[in-house]
Amino acid sequence: MDNGMDNMLDMYLFETNSLLEQLDSILLNAEKSKLFTVDDVNEIFRIMHTIKGSSAMMEFSSLMKIAHKTEDLFFIIREKGVETFDAVCSEAEHHELFNLVFNTIDFMRSEIEKIENDEPLTDNIDQELEKIKDFIDKINTHLGNAQNSDSTESTNTETVAQSAGKEQNKAVNEDLPDKSPYFLKIFFDEGCGMENLRAFMLVTAIKDVCSDFTFYPQDIETNSETSHQIIDSGFLMGFNSKEALDKSLAVLKGQSNIYTYETIENEQPAKEEKSSSNETAAKTEKKETKAPKPVSNSSSSSHSLQNKQSLISVNLSKLDSLMAIVGEIVITESMVTSCPELAGLKLDSFTKSARQLRKLTDELQDISMSIRMVPISGVFQKMNRIVRDMGQKLNKDVELVLIGEDTEVDKAIVDCIGDPIMHIVRNSMDHGIEETAEERIKNGKNPKGKITLKAEHTGSEVVISIADDGKGMDTQAILEKAARNGILTKPESEYSKKEILNLTLIPGFSTNEQVTEFSGRGVGMDVVKKNIEQVGGVVSISSELGEGTCTTLKIPLTMAIVDGMEIAVGKSIFTIPIHNIRQSFKVSASEIIHNVDNSEVIKRMDEFYPVFRLHELYGLQTDVTNIEDGIIIWVEAGDKSYCLFVDELLGGQQVVVKPLPAYLNDFNIKNSGIAGCTILGDGNISVILDISNLYLKAQNIN
Amino acid sequence: MSNSNGADSNSEKLTENTSVESIKKYLTFVSDNLIFGIDASYITEIIINHNITFLPIVPYYIKGIINLRGQIIPIIDIRLKMGKPENIKEDGSNCIIVLNIDSTMLGIMVDNVQQVLDIDTSKISPPTVNNCEELVNGMVTLSDGSTVLTIDCDVIKRT
Repeated sequence: MDNGMDNMLDMYLFETNSLLEQLDSILLNAEKSKLFTVDDVNEIFRIMHTIKGSSAMMEFSSLMKIAHKTEDLFFIIREKGVETFDAVCSEAEHHELFNLVFNTIDFMRSEIEKIENDEPLTDNIDQELEKIKDFIDKINTHLGNAQNSDSTESTNTETVAQSAGKEQNKAVNEDLPDKSPYFLKIFFDEGCGMENLRAFMLVTAIKDVCSDFTFYPQDIETNSETSHQIIDSGFLMGFNSKEALDKSLAVLKGQSNIYTYETIENEQPAKEEKSSSNETAAKTEKKETKAPKPVSNSSSSSHSLQNKQSLISVNLSKLDSLMAIVGEIVITESMVTSCPELAGLKLDSFTKSARQLRKLTDELQDISMSIRMVPISGVFQKMNRIVRDMGQKLNKDVELVLIGEDTEVDKAIVDCIGDPIMHIVRNSMDHGIEETAEERIKNGKNPKGKITLKAEHTGSEVVISIADDGKGMDTQAILEKAARNGILTKPESEYSKKEILNLTLIPGFSTNEQVTEFSGRGVGMDVVKKNIEQVGGVVSISSELGEGTCTTLKIPLTMAIVDGMEIAVGKSIFTIPIHNIRQSFKVSASEIIHNVDNSEVIKRMDEFYPVFRLHELYGLQTDVTNIEDGIIIWVEAGDKSYCLFVDELLGGQQVVVKPLPAYLNDFNIKNSGIAGCTILGDGNISVILDISNLYLKAQNIN
Repeated sequence: MSNSNGADSNSEKLTENTSVESIKKYLTFVSDNLIFGIDASYITEIIINHNITFLPIVPYYIKGIINLRGQIIPIIDIRLKMGKPENIKEDGSNCIIVLNIDSTMLGIMVDNVQQVLDIDTSKISPPTVNNCEELVNGMVTLSDGSTVLTIDCDVIKRT
């Protein structure tokens, strides 16, 4: 039971969050085009209605009330006709409406967050309700006036349709309940509210166990007035078999807020059933035609039903374990096919089956990886809101351009990059874009600022760039600030431009002199760096003074499986991720340049790179100590580029990254250049190197 | 944990009621000519001649990691941990006891394992004061006259 409740809560949170997101994007689009379309209003109405219903079911009253009030607001807009509303309301009022709804969404979000964190919900929501109510009153007076003067016909059609529905309902109510052999009369808890919706939930729940039943009143989903009817005379459900009734009773007992129920056996039709089976058959047919009615009542709800059927939501941890098992299968497959005992044997059919197996495991791996892939658009869309809100508060006119929203990345990565991207966008809004349009015009720029969010695939990585056309970063100012904060590690004159820009990523650095509401607490960029590095990515910044700043995040597509190069040092085998390797080559002793401290340096493509000997770094025993005997691997990670000296290359292989035992975490192993380990085809373990941390380790030694 | 507690509470009980016996199974093993006992409930399995992958950076007493059916398990050399010389066998063979201490998996490398014994925990006496082997939390004399040093698994886990 507890578990069921948790699942329900999960579903609720997931559903409500995605509805709010949907709402956000509808509103943003509507705001951009400065008017609501009929579809928009219907959609908003539907969303609020769903949130209201599910919140009521979960007994989150603050959310329910807010959603209810907002629903009222849009009900009025819908009722009076969207065109009338658009025509009557001034721009300022439009603006107010958007702000009001956005605020409401934010409030709901904060409430949802509270639910997620197991905190108590806000009790006092009068203020929020009052705001909406004030606005409703305001537009009511407006619309009332307008309605008197002009279009009444276009708006009334809906009410007419509704009352027609009601009449039909009454007719149904009078004659039909007699025909089913069994009836269930349900009363809900007094004052629980939303009786019609509760009844609808019940209907949906019972639909899962049996499809053949009728219920009265029928338009519970769409007509909130039916709740009075339910309060007064109960909610009636008709079943035509004892079995169906029993099943439904079981469901009923699991539902909350039900005060009482009674079963009514309708003797007469039962007898009829015995006497003339033909007639009952006809009746059931009749009922069947009735049943789908509430579904087809509103086209939008039936539409969403179809969507739901092709999508399922799965717990991420299940996908994680699926991924782990697939990883094991890939390894085991190569263990079997490259088994040393098979060497030298000529096994035609085995080779054939092995090849088939290989093909299938590859496919399996691709599919299981693609399951975890989600488009990045969710993260990008959120930025619309931030740009809008901040633009209003800071009085900056900024346009957000999204490119490559459809790019798919691992779900775990999407979760990790939301915050960093938000930080960067905020930074761009706050510090990047010029304070005033005049300043931009003076510099020969479009008065409207522009922030471009772009995502693209490049082989094994996804590259996300956030570019603004603002004032850019002043390297001199950064350097001075860094000197004041005491985070410089060498004389100022020795810093290259790239290094200076990277200073902004160091904890405790913030270029803004003043702390603003949005940024400038000096925690932004280093958090960005930390989050991105957590998923194995790198952050780089480029900026031209007066032209803008571009922050680039490079993130590996997935963390679970990497293409690796196996290398040997002494008896140990290491794996270097292929994407870190630029080149591998042999050198002659004369190419090695010795520095003052006797460290080795090599010149490649007109630049000097340090050479680290892996066996020295890790204290490994090896016979290969002459630089000409081994091989040099030129590696690169983020802004660090250097050469590693190893014994030999063993070849490339796809490896599944396994974390090292938690027991070893105490030895600071992660910061010494070891990212994890992997199991090779022969069952041996290879240690995966972390190229960027290895550099730090090497620097500490030298 | 259970060991040390057991020893403490039982020594108190000894003064009151000597008839209370609490039997626990211990696996005995030899390391550097000393007999050690380890609470059998922690033991997952005993493996021999497993290939150990050397791991850089870690302290000298961690011999490396092994792949036990897809699980990566760190290996501690009990001799090195106790500051004794390493036991280098010519044939490269080894003997590892795999432990699961509060769901931390780790292996200890020993010279060889002996047998599983029933030991009355009330008879385990605390180690002598000048005992500097922090791994050992008790001593017990067996019926054949040999003395077994009991190992505190929590200390092993604490790196």
